[in-house]
Amino acid sequence: MITRALRHPSFVVGLAITLLVVLVAVIAAFWTPHDATAMRISARLRPPSATNWFGTDQFGRDVLSMLMMGARNALLVGVVAVGIGLSIGVALGMVAATREGSLLDEAIMRICDFTFAFPAVLTAILILTFLGPGLVNAIIAIGIFNIPVFARIARGAALQVMARDYIRAARAAGRTTFGILYRHVLPNITGILIVQASVQFALAILAEAGLSYLGIGTQPPNPSWGRMLNDSQTFLSQASYLAIFPGAAIALAVLGFNLLGDGLRDVLDPKSKER
Amino acid sequence: MQKSTRLGPFAASLSLAVLGFSALPAVAQAPKDSVTICQTLEPPILDPTGGAAAAIREVTYDNVFETLLAYNGEGRIEPRLAEKIDSSADGLTHTITLRSGVTFHDGAALTAEDVKFSFERAMAPDSKNSQKWIFAPIDRIEARDARTVVITLKSFAGDFLDGLAWADATIFSAKSADKAATEPVGTGPYQFVRWNRGDRLLLKRNENYWGKKPTIPNATFRFISDPQAQVAALTAGDCDAHTNLSAPEAVPQLRANAALRVTIGRTEGETIVAMNNSKPPFNNPKVREAISKAIDRSQVNEGAISGFGTLIGTHFSPNHPAYVDLTGAVKYDPAAAKKLLAEAGFPNGFSVTLRLPPPAYAQRGGEIVAAMLGQVGIKVSIEPVQWAQWLERVYRQRDYDLTIVAHVEPLDINIYARDGYYFGYNSEAVKAAVARTKSAKTEAERNAAYQEAQRLITADHANVYLFMLPKITVSRAGLTGMWTNWPVPANPLAALSWQ
Repeated sequence: MITRALRHPSFVVGLAITLLVVLVAVIAAFWTPHDATAMRISARLRPPSATNWFGTDQFGRDVLSMLMMGARNALLVGVVAVGIGLSIGVALGMVAATREGSLLDEAIMRICDFTFAFPAVLTAILILTFLGPGLVNAIIAIGIFNIPVFARIARGAALQVMARDYIRAARAAGRTTFGILYRHVLPNITGILIVQASVQFALAILAEAGLSYLGIGTQPPNPSWGRMLNDSQTFLSQASYLAIFPGAAIALAVLGFNLLGDGLRDVLDPKSKER
Repeated sequence: MQKSTRLGPFAASLSLAVLGFSALPAVAQAPKDSVTICQTLEPPILDPTGGAAAAIREVTYDNVFETLLAYNGEGRIEPRLAEKIDSSADGLTHTITLRSGVTFHDGAALTAEDVKFSFERAMAPDSKNSQKWIFAPIDRIEARDARTVVITLKSFAGDFLDGLAWADATIFSAKSADKAATEPVGTGPYQFVRWNRGDRLLLKRNENYWGKKPTIPNATFRFISDPQAQVAALTAGDCDAHTNLSAPEAVPQLRANAALRVTIGRTEGETIVAMNNSKPPFNNPKVREAISKAIDRSQVNEGAISGFGTLIGTHFSPNHPAYVDLTGAVKYDPAAAKKLLAEAGFPNGFSVTLRLPPPAYAQRGGEIVAAMLGQVGIKVSIEPVQWAQWLERVYRQRDYDLTIVAHVEPLDINIYARDGYYFGYNSEAVKAAVARTKSAKTEAERNAAYQEAQRLITADHANVYLFMLPKITVSRAGLTGMWTNWPVPANPLAALSWQ
């Protein structure tokens, strides 16, 4: 499977971009060329140079350092928000699957449908209006709209698996429902969940950038790609590089995770195996 | 068949475009009989006595509406609808003679009854006038004859006549005042034509104007809030002038453009970091002093508005003769600030919230102030709020720690004497000084009282005084007469002309 994956172009490109973003984020945790939050007003709006590779912003902060810290924040949001969605969503979906057609199943799935009826970012804005702006609240908000995505997928996939003979055999052998879900169902739906997680990861990064752009996500001085993009807006004709770098970072990260997801789907999806 | 129907509308639009192009040079060559003035904010209504928004005054003051006295571009008061005012020796009775031959845009003649009506309307308990102090000393108003109004005051008020030059003392006609919010009818050199909300407001020359007639027959105010769009509109020639550009960083680029002229003037907007003086820890003068010393004003000025502001050390405009230069009274000294915090019982600092309204000076200035306070150990979390929220939570409910805002009214140091004002500041000495600015009989006496009030609030570190907001005026080369400074928010169009 690994050799097949490595021959898949979008998987390889996606993986390379993703690893680059992860690498930058890891480096940023220990080192950035300059302090990402240190202002040097006298050196404001300097175009890219040897000391500031990507230039400085309106407060004289180093754009490269901010981008690196922004990568860390973007990944943090992706990991935690998708983690919330994955853990709660999968649990709900599998529980619903074991009680197919019951009131519980109906209730879980109708709540998911209800959440789905609202566009994801709108839901997040709504949640942030209640919780107040901030990085942690943004993660919670993005996590919440990830729950129904995973609940639906987990339920559908689990239902397929549970119709198999070996599940009946396990039941006949006296396995508990939890044991069956954990031992037999979960491992068999991991592939589809991983594919979905990488797509949701890209969406989470985009959502954080969008929310921060609107001013309700990551708050200053904590750097965020979306905020940088918003701040750059007023300087567009004087310092276009302020918009280009964070814009490219968002595009690259989202592209990376999407390509990775596409590649993984082709590699892991049972249907593509048959090809 | 299908092909020709598809081509139909395209061909039509093409021929229209050709027509449009052929008509264009003719328009460009015609003598310029109109002017388009762009400004950042759109007025919510057009009645200057119905709200505090500066945008109302920027459109209507001395254009559609007039006052008995009026501010000129240098900040001096000159007669407008009043030809002369005779004041009694005790300053309690003012006999105002109106100019003759003044008519409203609907043809009605201006009479003493209109003045009586306008002031009584402004004084009414249900009036939304934002400067009721102007009318507070009035005991009674008498329309002695068609051109004579006699105003008797309850007590002496040295600033009463100055107040008559404010837009809040606009003169309406009883017949049309109710519609002033949407279809204003005044006595000014320009009359209202149409208001396309969200976009522009059209005015035309008042052909029956009592004074010198404007040289430009048609005028348009356009409302463009986005800073980059303002720059683009000026460069493209969609705006003949912008009254106060929101993109100070674009000034070098616009200065390099030979078709445009840029002037940096002053507004009356004292920009301050307001502290909730009645709330701990800001009720401790040492904490306030520490915060004042932790903020480098020139850096905030540079980073927030490209250094175009004028630094101040107190809540008073350098445009006024009574101004005291206190910029050196509080020096930037983070080490001293840390020491003061330790003395006040906060050796490790504390956490506060900085609520910021939408303008760029506040948002950008706020980030810089937060970083500077962080240097001395005060952890600041920034909370951006909309204007409505700011007015409700910060201004009305006093639910805040720190905020940044520009106070744009002229001579507004009296707010430090107001009980329940959002600063939560209370000083008997300042109250006495402000009272003396009202009771003073001479200019010198009044200015001395103003100076004492300035020194007192600075010594108390009531707030952190940053800078006066600049007025960045950009106008097309050839257009003259735009105000460089804003002693009051106004853009009198009658003074404009094309060279």
